[in-house]
Amino acid sequence: MHIKLKNLKRDYGTLHAVQDVTLDIPSNTIYGIIGRSGAGKSTLVRLVSMLERPDSGEVYYDDERVDNLEGKALIQRRRRIGMIFQNFNLFSSRNAAGNIAYPMEICGMDRVHISKRVEELLSLVGLQGRGSAPISTLSGGQKQRVAIARALACNPDILFCDEATSALDPQTTRSILALIKELQAKMNLTVVMITHQMEVVRDACERVAVIDSGRIVEEGTVSDIFANPKSEVTKDFISNLTNVKDSIVRWSDEEGRFTLRFRGNTTDSPIISNVSIETGATFNIRAAGVQEVSGEDIGVMVVDIGPDEKSVRAAVEMLRKYGVSVEGEV
Amino acid sequence: MDAQLISQVMEATGETLIMVLFSTVFSLVLGLPIGVLLHITGKEESGGIIPSPVFNNVLSRIVNVLRSFPFIILLIVLIPLSRVIVGTSIGTKAAIVPLSIAAAPFVARIIESALKEVDPGVLQAAKAMGSTNWQLVYKVLLPEAMPALISGLTLTIINLIGYSAMAGTIGGGGLGDLAIRYGYQRFRPSYLVAAVIIILIMVEIIQVAGDMIVKKMMSKR
Ligand SMILES: Nc1ncnc2c1ncn2[C@@H]1O[C@H](COP(=O)(O)OP(=O)(O)OP(=O)(O)O)[C@@H](O)[C@H]1O
Ligand SMILES: [Mg+2]
Repeated sequence: MHIKLKNLKRDYGTLHAVQDVTLDIPSNTIYGIIGRSGAGKSTLVRLVSMLERPDSGEVYYDDERVDNLEGKALIQRRRRIGMIFQNFNLFSSRNAAGNIAYPMEICGMDRVHISKRVEELLSLVGLQGRGSAPISTLSGGQKQRVAIARALACNPDILFCDEATSALDPQTTRSILALIKELQAKMNLTVVMITHQMEVVRDACERVAVIDSGRIVEEGTVSDIFANPKSEVTKDFISNLTNVKDSIVRWSDEEGRFTLRFRGNTTDSPIISNVSIETGATFNIRAAGVQEVSGEDIGVMVVDIGPDEKSVRAAVEMLRKYGVSVEGEV
Repeated sequence: MDAQLISQVMEATGETLIMVLFSTVFSLVLGLPIGVLLHITGKEESGGIIPSPVFNNVLSRIVNVLRSFPFIILLIVLIPLSRVIVGTSIGTKAAIVPLSIAAAPFVARIIESALKEVDPGVLQAAKAMGSTNWQLVYKVLLPEAMPALISGLTLTIINLIGYSAMAGTIGGGGLGDLAIRYGYQRFRPSYLVAAVIIILIMVEIIQVAGDMIVKKMMSKR
């Protein structure tokens, strides 16, 4: 299911929570929306998921307009989307199986059918045999698995995740992301993943939109955005990435003036040496590392370039010609 | 302990039980929908499903006025209503009418505050899945709030046991009436003591049973 947002706006009093958001979310993909706390992510996802109405603008699922649905039509359409949350939002009055059964009960499926499907779903999320467990006895990761099973019970075409991993530790986060990726492919879902963690975008998403103060400031494939971040917010998110496996090694505490990003095949050739030889520029490497971003290697290097302004300009120009993104003042 | 005392106390106990039982049922029938309405028409942030500030405000005021009405006055004011509903304005049956009406606003508030405890996030999730408003109430709100509702019900019954003691004013009978007429007005302390002891036992049984049910429910969550 392909989702299209046109000039979405939502104000709370004088606060512009979402302003003029236009986005194309391709079908059958995991699409990230990242932003700082209070950026308007949850508001945006409520607008897109028909939980709240925009003040103006339009939302389309494929070619069906959904932001203005009412009454029965709205209820029926909601039954074909799934949603998971940071706090899981499970029913404490029902056990795991009862939670998963709920969306099927409300659309009037018969009992036999429901209990069969509940078993299927439990094993789909790796919780076979835990159906009778009270919610409070489950771990955070298990709770999110129940929530995922509940969200997918009625075979939705879209899954919205609002900070679905924010309450989980890094290891559980990885296992939940892996599960979402697996289910996305298996069920041809369009997944909209709201987050404030760049790790989530890096590990799970194909495309990403960056939202700040209610506006989309940047949008593109994840590897493009990582290789060549444009806005300050995005750069901030990328530089704050913490992941032991591929963190950048710093051997000098001094900030380098330039950040170079090498992607794909550029990581294989001796670009720095070539540039140095041809322009006479000197490179002092402060920090460097390789990050894997949606299956692609991105090399990051923080450097000072010398010895004089002329060679710096020449070096930067040449690096860019090689396809290296260079960030910093010349 | 004479036989007369025993039979009179038994009879009064029966009357009290009948008054409390029926007024509990009827005050629930009246109070539950009002409590649910109070909650679901409230603000969205606090879990309202169909926020309607004006309606909510009016209803809330009406409930408050009824709640602050002294019971003894309500008892007298409602004499004509009892006559219409049960055909008589005196006796145990007649007392059930004012008891139910007096307890209803109290029940409504208790229900409302129990429903307020339900996590708005859970409601939002149920709404996102395509629940109708009716399903949100009977499949989510009420079951999620059940332990708090049972505690509230316990409190309501205990209050009604207390209120029913005043029903003697309109010849409603019951333990309170017995204690006043025999124990106080005719100086027979044994009646007074017997009535008080039985009321204490009733309250204790209700409290313990209510707590047990709540505890059992919580252990399954
Ligand atoms: N129902 C509401 N009424 C008033 N203001 C609201 C409401 N919901 C959100 N806001 C405001 O809108 C802004 C965006 O909120 P939103 O919840 O969308 O942010 P977010 O990006 O999801 O943040 P977080 O990462 O903290 O979840 C915030 O300033 C918030 O205070
Ligand atoms: Mg949020």
